[in-house]
Amino acid sequence: MEKYLYITLFAPLVGSLIAAFFAAKPKELYTGILTSALVGISFLSSIVLLNYVDADTILHVKMMDWISVGNLSIPFGFVVDQVSIIMMVTVTFVSTIVHIYSIGYMEHDKSFNRFFSYLSAFVFSMLILVMSDNFIGLFIGWEGVGLCSWMLIGFWYHKQSASWAANEAFIMNRIADLGMLMGLFLIYWEIGSFQYDIVFANILNLNINTVTWIGSFLFIGAMGKSAQFPFHTWLADAMEGPTPVSALIHAATMVTAGVYLIIRASDIYFLIPDVGYVIASLGAFVAVFAASMALVNRDLKRIIAYSTLSQLGYMFVAAGLGAYWIALFHLMTHAFFKSLLFLGAGNVMHAMNDELDIKKMGGLYQSMRATAILMTIASIALAGIYPFAGFFSKDKILEVAFNHEAYLLWFALFIGAGMTAFYSFRLVMMVFFGEQVHKRLGFHPHEARPFVIYALTPLALLSIVAGFLEYSFHAFVIDLLRDYKFTLDHSVGWMLIVATTAIALSGIAFAVYKYKRGGFGAGVESLGIYKLLVNQYYIPQFYNNAILKPFAAISTFFWKQIDLKIVDATVDLIGKMFYNAGGKTRQIQSGNLSSMLRWMVAGIAVMLVLAIILRPMV
Amino acid sequence: MDYILSLVVFFPIVAGSFAFLVDAKSVRVFGIAVAIIEFFLSIVLWLGFDYGIDGMQMVEHFSLISQFGMSYYLAVDGISLFLVILSTFMTMVALFALSIEKDIKNLIIAVLFLETTMVGVFLSLDIILFYLFWEASLVPMLYIIGAWGSERRIYAAIKFFLYTFAGSVLMLVGILYMGHLYYETTGIWSFAITDWYQMVLPFNLQLWLFGAFFLAFAIKVPMFPFHTWLPYAHGQAPTIGSVLLAAVMLKMGTYGFVRFSLPLFPDASIYFMIPIAIIATVMVIYAAMVAYAQEDMKQVIAYSSISHMGVIILGTFAMNTEGISGSIFMMISHGIVSGALFMLVGVIYERRHTKMMREFGGLASVMPSFATIYAIMLMGSVGLPLTIGFIGEFLSLMGFYRIDWIITMIAGTGIILGAVYMLSLYKRSFFGPLVNDENKKLKDLNFKEYSALIPLVFLVILLGIYPKPVLDPISSSVKNMIRIMDKKVINKESKEILYKANSIGGGR
Repeated sequence: MEKYLYITLFAPLVGSLIAAFFAAKPKELYTGILTSALVGISFLSSIVLLNYVDADTILHVKMMDWISVGNLSIPFGFVVDQVSIIMMVTVTFVSTIVHIYSIGYMEHDKSFNRFFSYLSAFVFSMLILVMSDNFIGLFIGWEGVGLCSWMLIGFWYHKQSASWAANEAFIMNRIADLGMLMGLFLIYWEIGSFQYDIVFANILNLNINTVTWIGSFLFIGAMGKSAQFPFHTWLADAMEGPTPVSALIHAATMVTAGVYLIIRASDIYFLIPDVGYVIASLGAFVAVFAASMALVNRDLKRIIAYSTLSQLGYMFVAAGLGAYWIALFHLMTHAFFKSLLFLGAGNVMHAMNDELDIKKMGGLYQSMRATAILMTIASIALAGIYPFAGFFSKDKILEVAFNHEAYLLWFALFIGAGMTAFYSFRLVMMVFFGEQVHKRLGFHPHEARPFVIYALTPLALLSIVAGFLEYSFHAFVIDLLRDYKFTLDHSVGWMLIVATTAIALSGIAFAVYKYKRGGFGAGVESLGIYKLLVNQYYIPQFYNNAILKPFAAISTFFWKQIDLKIVDATVDLIGKMFYNAGGKTRQIQSGNLSSMLRWMVAGIAVMLVLAIILRPMV
Repeated sequence: MDYILSLVVFFPIVAGSFAFLVDAKSVRVFGIAVAIIEFFLSIVLWLGFDYGIDGMQMVEHFSLISQFGMSYYLAVDGISLFLVILSTFMTMVALFALSIEKDIKNLIIAVLFLETTMVGVFLSLDIILFYLFWEASLVPMLYIIGAWGSERRIYAAIKFFLYTFAGSVLMLVGILYMGHLYYETTGIWSFAITDWYQMVLPFNLQLWLFGAFFLAFAIKVPMFPFHTWLPYAHGQAPTIGSVLLAAVMLKMGTYGFVRFSLPLFPDASIYFMIPIAIIATVMVIYAAMVAYAQEDMKQVIAYSSISHMGVIILGTFAMNTEGISGSIFMMISHGIVSGALFMLVGVIYERRHTKMMREFGGLASVMPSFATIYAIMLMGSVGLPLTIGFIGEFLSLMGFYRIDWIITMIAGTGIILGAVYMLSLYKRSFFGPLVNDENKKLKDLNFKEYSALIPLVFLVILLGIYPKPVLDPISSSVKNMIRIMDKKVINKESKEILYKANSIGGGR
């Protein structure tokens, strides 16, 4: 079975390296086909592994030693267990589809080969992240996906905005990574190892304070990768990257790594429910906070990005409250419908010559029926309507919050569900139905190529049916993860389902009703709340004015005022002092005999005085 | 194999002397040949190195002035081995990339002389010999900067020379005093470091002597606030000078801390641990911010060196195997990465005769290979896992975490700020539209540049994935050194700190 593990892991790397070889050359179709095939192989072999793993069998291999020094020993080790295999299958599945889709999407891009090289490198890093058997291996993948994200956001590097967004994403993640590193250091110095099994076996022996610190530090790392408040700004800006990248990295896989970390370290978080509660509260906050920004945004991709942010909040609520398997389940279903939504958006963008403003679209259903249907399916799933996938996973999270008697969190999520339904259908309505604004603006939309549409159907299928996997999923993962006990009365559970469905349906209904009639008038745009939301609560401006500008100013101050004018000037002053002293005293050597004799007398006098003062005491 | 160390030390200078006889046209080839042979000699040294011995090995010892205990004493251990290989390797690679035509004969001779002194510093165990090499290394560098530098080269060269020279004078006093002390306690003169390791000094004396050595090392590293010679030296030096300065000469200072300060004055080192860590932290952040403010690409890298050296100092003063091994590994990784970055700046400087970032922009589209290699080195510099830069930085910070987690966290912002200035450099130079007409016809790397850069790229990735052959001997020699320290410490508190630094568990 080890063979399959290595195939899963390294097939994307091989693809990436081969494509990298052609990176600077003009488009070669086969780099796209080859990398897609290799990622596909990786998916198939992870399916084999999925069948192999059960309650008694997991796969754990040690490839080689990496760092060993002092008491420390870090191997390259990989584990395929119930959690990692779910992630592996999800990641490779979505990646395969995104790869195939990209062959169509990047068709006319001059850096076609380079794109596939980066995309496959990302898949490899993500697999390292989820398959590693220790925290440092996870960190390798963690930074690796960060690097690939940087390369892919900045893929069109000639655009200033793209390279800015790429750097922002990398640096924001680095800030959070420092927190994570602190957590890792603490783990090492308390336990002496980074291996999951050893750490989780010994975590109980630690003082609860220490565990709290470890949990908090690791969560800071998770916040960065999963773009939780206050690190959320990079995700919306990351939409500068090509759309397949947004679908794969900034929706389905990389941004869920933070959730994965919490699930993976559930043995740690189980011991510190208080930290868990903080995580859940932050998650609930982000769920509403991000959804509110999605309500008013006009940028097709940013709306979906905020929606991702909001759904990540839902996952953190589940993970924070101890419902690890539900978090993982939502992570999986979300990957399906959110990537579908993004890839559909990619079709729309292509049809509209990369126009992103949804106000300029409208009525696209006429010209791109298939995409419209696919995106509607994804939106229903996202809104959480029975029997679509989102219903099963999202409703469960609301139940968890209620079950936990965290009514405030539940209420936030409840409102969030309504907002989600509204903004999803606002998007669908404004893009595909209503007045055909694009005609007036001179766009000639066309449907994407058939193979692109076919590539998306598996995602659509799973967005519809994945929810029914709930029971088998549950049975499968609780062999490793702690189960979550519902103590809710059956009738209360039903009431919750009814309530959530009702608010979601009314959100959809409201959006459909409103946007059929041309939406809100221009009056809305002058409202203070609208301005607040459309400016993203002025947080990007705040970061710019309170952090970036002062940082640049202080840096320049350090350089020009302190380094040059104080530190260096002092050194030069000392140097000049000697130089000037030399210059002054040189005049003594004038060659004038009488003045030199006078100096000699003075010198002798000084020496005599010194001889008297410093004479040995007898 | 018996005299391999002497051979490694003196081969470049002897062969370099013959370069006077070589015709100016072929001297470049001659220099490269000598550097390659020298590199292979150092590889032979590595092959002969016994991984089972954690102390000194391949010892060569002859008495020179026996009345005063001065001797010719060379030996190698895990700590110095890779610094020697780094010196020979970087010299070789820097000569590959050399493109200066003017007075090339003199330049090559100067570089080969410099190589001898660098290797000599790392291999000498007699302190007088060490001091000779230490000071002698200034002369060829003074000449390289002063003769082949840019406009303000004389100022920069003299500043470099006087500043570092002034620092070393106090060290000489310390050395003589230590020798005298050894004579007083044992009745014989000796300047062998291994003899000095056996000597237990009273605490007060340790403080003074630590101070005497500290200034010399601190200026060399360079530690804040003694760092201002470095930006000038780099700013004015030709590429080969910057490469050797950053890659090897700065490491003499940190090597000095590991070889002398820590084992000779363990109590004083532990006593000054926190103040030095604070200076190191200031260095990391301050230099990183100054680097961000620069407009000149080369200055960014010069200041980034200071910032990284701060992390190395932090790791050295962590007093545990993890931290010190990490700091030594980072000396090597920083040598390779910063050397490569200076070479890359040299590549663009040669084409455009400017290093100002505002002149560039969009270079990635005209020079894709150059941009790719630059990006790899950038990732090595910001310490991305699986590149060489990660391991040393990670271990150094982790080591110091055991001593003080708050300082570590503050110094750890270096990993953020490092990304900030490097990515902003990259964005300004390589990304964005290609606006400047002069950049539109730039040629990508040529064979000469590839031959220098490809080995470096290879090492950055190889040692990032498989650092074991380098890390193992370093780690065992560091363990040995910590045992020496442990035997020598006299204060009870220092003993406890040393014990705690090297053990697992115990809560915060």
